Amino acid sequence: MKEVDLKIGNGEFYALMGPNGSGKTTLASILASVKFPTSGRIEIFGRKPEAAKSITGYVPQENFSSPLLTGEENLMYFAGLLGYSKRDAADMVEGLLEKVGLREDAGKRVANYSGGMRKRLEVATILFPGLKLLILDEPTTGLDPSARRKFLGLVQGLRSEETTILLVTHIGADAELASRVGLMARGRIIAEDQPEVLKKSSGLENVVNIETSIKNEEVAKLLSSFSEKLKVLETDLGYRVFTENVEEATPKIVRALDQVGCKVIRIESVKPSLEDVFFKLTETSVREVG
Amino acid sequence: MGQITATLSKTMKEFLRQKTVLFWTIGWPIIWVLIGSFSFTANAPAEVLGYTRGAISISMMVFALMTAGMANLPGNIAQDRERGLLTKVMSMPVSPWRDFTGRILALLAFSVLSAVLVVAVGFACGASFFFTGVGFGAALVFVLLIFVGSAGIGMLIGSFVKHVHGAIMSGVGLTVVSAAVSGVMTPYQYLPSVLQSFAKIYPIASANSAITFLLVGEDYAGYNPLGIGQTVPTAFFALLLFVIGLIVYSRFCWKKE
Repeated sequence: MKEVDLKIGNGEFYALMGPNGSGKTTLASILASVKFPTSGRIEIFGRKPEAAKSITGYVPQENFSSPLLTGEENLMYFAGLLGYSKRDAADMVEGLLEKVGLREDAGKRVANYSGGMRKRLEVATILFPGLKLLILDEPTTGLDPSARRKFLGLVQGLRSEETTILLVTHIGADAELASRVGLMARGRIIAEDQPEVLKKSSGLENVVNIETSIKNEEVAKLLSSFSEKLKVLETDLGYRVFTENVEEATPKIVRALDQVGCKVIRIESVKPSLEDVFFKLTETSVREVG
Repeated sequence: MGQITATLSKTMKEFLRQKTVLFWTIGWPIIWVLIGSFSFTANAPAEVLGYTRGAISISMMVFALMTAGMANLPGNIAQDRERGLLTKVMSMPVSPWRDFTGRILALLAFSVLSAVLVVAVGFACGASFFFTGVGFGAALVFVLLIFVGSAGIGMLIGSFVKHVHGAIMSGVGLTVVSAAVSGVMTPYQYLPSVLQSFAKIYPIASANSAITFLLVGEDYAGYNPLGIGQTVPTAFFALLLFVIGLIVYSRFCWKKE
């Protein structure tokens, strides 16, 4: 990381978005006191990260809960690490399981949980009272769309005046939930603002999102001729084309793709996303390694 | 409930719920007690049969203690590191020493359980032991030294071998090989002289011989391991392994980058 200057206000929900290798996990690890910074200064509510461990809750990328223990036993373990007595812990754990929607599955071993349930359980480990900064590192990676929605609903519910949330992600839709987003690339924060402001200031107005039957160099090259504002962005299911005049371009795109034997499964005009903004600023997809 | 109790309880539950851990630490030694008691000793004279079975039970009890310390402990450490639990715990106000103490106490409880079960099966198969208060007490001290030495080696493996399967396999391999070449699983008398020397230096093997000497007699131990020139190095090397393991564990497993 280089020259990272980041201030997150008390009670703010801040998303740090960037591709793998951009330095966002390193920053989160330093804040969580898992790594040391080589230089620079970090303060969490006026304390050094090491001294702020008691008010910082960290959910690392990996699924750290023990699959051999039940959901309840996992939380009892963390309650014990935080110094709660068995009786206090038992009451608290019941409440936390309720909060993350796992009360009915409390007695099941985590090995039998779905990915989404496991992630929600792990978030419960940072909901013990007294934690003021919650750091979630790529929490939705690997979750199916339904589990992801449910999980993000839970994260939204954590917002309060007393709780500051730092969400580390490479998924634009997740970052859009935050009140402020920092875009990170090659160890620097290259842009930072509210999601809507970032999108407006990018100058991108319309984007054509296309799902195609084929994804290859020829199709990408063909679509490039329609993308005046920016290179074509490859997505999971197709491409995003950045054009001035969507209505005029859409039928032409369909015809041109048809001529090269590529079927258009879906084509729609959409508003630019944070991932498009990142692409505009870096000419690199946020899904690529940064 | 403190950090030590929380870690102890979590680790113990993990040991007891892993079928492979249960099999290799308790099941496998018990199978060998059964095979040894009814097959290998089939032609043994009646007057020594009980003590021969006793010696087999002691060997397998020591093997169980070795597996617990040298394979289960590093497996547990590597598992916690691989799935990010150590990272998570490092972000919390948790003392490495309390984490370590919790793990070691869980290992001790599991090792005692394994040892008791193996010896109980030996008893059920007709194993005989000399029971004197002093002898039994001294044998317990040597059991503790085996536990301490094995845990030290386990911590070293857990600190250096990062992957779960690698850590477990390294531990199992080291347990089997060192038990085979040091007289734990083969009679001391049958070892070549170079390995007999090794058996006297390797604290786990010399403590095994001491227990055997105390509970079933010198004939089965192969030599007298209770002289001061032998017991002091046994205790020293077992404690040394533990201390080195502890230092390496606290430095490498809890190391911030």
